[in-house]
Amino acid sequence: MYFVAKVKEDECAKYNCKQCVLFCPEPNCINFLEKKSTAWVWPDKCKGCEICVYVCSDLLKRNCIEMVMVQAGD
Amino acid sequence: MGLEYVKIAPGFEKYMPRDYVDLVKMGQFGRQVDVMDLGQFKELVEDHPMCAGCYMAYFIRIFYASLPNPEDTIVLGTAGCARLALSQAAVPFIYGNYGDTNAVASGLKRALTIRFPDKHKDVVVIAGDGGLMDIGFGMTMHSWFRREKFTTIMVDNEVYGNTGGQESGMSPKGVQLKMAPKGKQFDKINAVELAKVSGCVYVARISPTNPKRIAKVIRRAILAARHFGPTFIHAYTSCNIEYSIPTREVLADARNREKKDFKFYEWMTDEVKEYFEEMEKKEVKA
Ligand SMILES: Cc1ncc(C[n+]2csc(CCOP(=O)(O)OP(=O)(O)O)c2C)c(N)n1
Ligand code: SF4
Ligand code: SF4
Ligand code: SF4
Ligand SMILES: [Mg+2]
Repeated sequence: MYFVAKVKEDECAKYNCKQCVLFCPEPNCINFLEKKSTAWVWPDKCKGCEICVYVCSDLLKRNCIEMVMVQAGD
Repeated sequence: MGLEYVKIAPGFEKYMPRDYVDLVKMGQFGRQVDVMDLGQFKELVEDHPMCAGCYMAYFIRIFYASLPNPEDTIVLGTAGCARLALSQAAVPFIYGNYGDTNAVASGLKRALTIRFPDKHKDVVVIAGDGGLMDIGFGMTMHSWFRREKFTTIMVDNEVYGNTGGQESGMSPKGVQLKMAPKGKQFDKINAVELAKVSGCVYVARISPTNPKRIAKVIRRAILAARHFGPTFIHAYTSCNIEYSIPTREVLADARNREKKDFKFYEWMTDEVKEYFEEMEKKEVKA
């Protein structure tokens, strides 16, 4: 079991923002889906550092990312 | 290396791994991506074993997205944390012996210039503070004295991260590390000033708080090295492990340091400045 970030896509889509994508240390881990205007996390690549949460919640006060527990293979 | 080398031979597409196909179809080869479009193209660097929240890993991510010509670039690294990610990218990577990076890069750049006289082949060294300013100090300095035309990027985490926390010449004075229990006794080396007086034609100091600015600095350092001489980037890239920074606070720490001793700084010779001014004028027209 480990923690990964998960974007609340309906919330995120309100902002047309991309800031978390630009500050995640991992390549192609948070991506951006233009047609839905939302960020999304590829859980296999996420290391659970919460830098994206710092960006979205602490800096931007948008609170669109939560940390969730996943099982290997989920 | 070269664009032909990257392409998939006709008929083989269905046998290639998905990651590779993505790289060719949605990647950076043969086109200039904008770093602000991250998350919408396949990046050159892949999954790697650097620690969670490592901002050296972040800097390396931005580095690859900023390359002016990835298919004609060779990256040189060495022992230390950075090579853990540098070796997982779709850009040729050479592992120089610890301390030797700038000697290897000198020979490589000269050989490439002879072999491909009509092309720019970019050579970039990325190594740690220990690799460049301590153990590789002589090689680094002499490559600058000789005005070798390649870029050196120091990913400065102010410690020997990969070997468990010894102090380096770049650790700040007074800092206590696992293997500096009395606190560092000497000042942090002023690498930027050393680079300026030793022959570098473009020098920058940067904290990773603004991807657009990192990309601009990396592009400038690579382009200036093609035409004028050695270039140097001193990047603050924290080690959250050895400095016990909670990972969620890593970007906050980078922003904080930017306000203090890692204020953005850029310096170049008049010749280089003129070159960029001309280039930017042309870009505006186009
Ligand atoms: C010639 C030589 N001496 C010592 C070592 C052991 N060694 C490996 S990594 C390292 C320190 C790395 O520190 P730095 O260059 O700052 O990189 P970091 O891991 O902090 O990114 C050392 C001393 C080595 N590999 N080769
Ligand atoms: S920072 Fe928040 S609002 Fe902005 S793209 Fe990321 S998840 Fe969406
Ligand atoms: S938790 Fe860290 S690794 Fe995971 S998506 Fe957020 S910033 Fe990226
Ligand atoms: S030890 Fe420090 S510098 Fe090395 S990968 Fe981990 S956090 Fe990054
Ligand atoms: Mg180091």
